[in-house]
Amino acid sequence: MNELDYLIIVIIVMALSTYFTRLIPFVLFSPGRESSILNYVAKSTPPMVMMILVVYMLKDINDQSYELIYTLIALAITIGFQVYKRNALLSIVAGTAAYMFFVQI
Amino acid sequence: MVRSAVKISLPIMFGFVPLGIAFGLLFQDLGYPWYFASLMGIIVYAGAAQFMAIGFLSAGLGVVEIAMSTFFLNSRHMFYGLSFLESFGNWNIRKLYLIFGMTDETYALLTTIKVPERFVKERYYLYITLFAQFYWVLGCTIGAILADVLTFNTDGMEFAATALFVVLLIEQWIIVRRLLPFIVGFISSIIALVFFINHMLLTAIMISIASIVFMRLIKGSQS
Repeated sequence: MNELDYLIIVIIVMALSTYFTRLIPFVLFSPGRESSILNYVAKSTPPMVMMILVVYMLKDINDQSYELIYTLIALAITIGFQVYKRNALLSIVAGTAAYMFFVQI
Repeated sequence: MVRSAVKISLPIMFGFVPLGIAFGLLFQDLGYPWYFASLMGIIVYAGAAQFMAIGFLSAGLGVVEIAMSTFFLNSRHMFYGLSFLESFGNWNIRKLYLIFGMTDETYALLTTIKVPERFVKERYYLYITLFAQFYWVLGCTIGAILADVLTFNTDGMEFAATALFVVLLIEQWIIVRRLLPFIVGFISSIIALVFFINHMLLTAIMISIASIVFMRLIKGSQS
């Protein structure tokens, strides 16, 4: 097996494996017949997942360095813009620009 | 509809393009032709798994291990589909693609936005998913092609993904207005961080879903 064959096989295997994880719930549960508990789970999952993703993104911050301080500032800017302007793009760009400024100086 | 979908998907662009560039740059170190980075973005389309793949490829890991690792790394996506059982419509190519395109970012965006009433929901979702993948493939390609010449300092741009999730968390609060799922999500994250730091995302999602099912069942048996 040469290098390129290996790469192509890896790509195909990863593609199938990834697609499989995304396809499972649609195969297991057919719409319309779901129980009220499944509906409840479906409704509660987005806020829970969003909370988990935020914690996940912030978990590697080094709290012994300036990183903590400028991350908090960038978060405050993002949250501030989002609460007062409700413009997702603006909030993200402002927060990220602030963060990049601090990282690069 | 296309214009509206582009506009609403732009926050994903700010996350995906720099992240894709980072992937492309790292991928180029392996020494394969640049277009394989684009190909991975097109047919694998999974951020974390693609970064993991760089490690696999340089180590020459076996195909079975790669399949298993990819499956476990992405298995949180199993829970994402639950929110779209109905809204993805009937089985057709579009639905198959919408399922294929369900990354963390698209899931987060699609569960948070309100589709304007004049648009067909599934088509609107399709455009957003297509644009999101386009941003990702674009990033992967730029990174791989420009590996040698890129001079723009992208340090810190990864914060865009954090900012996106924070923004969507705020929007979720505005939609849901119930404290419980947020508290459950937070506590589950902390538990997962303390005990299962290497598989934090998946364990946190499983703990949180198990907890709300449990609470719901207790409440149901009382009333």
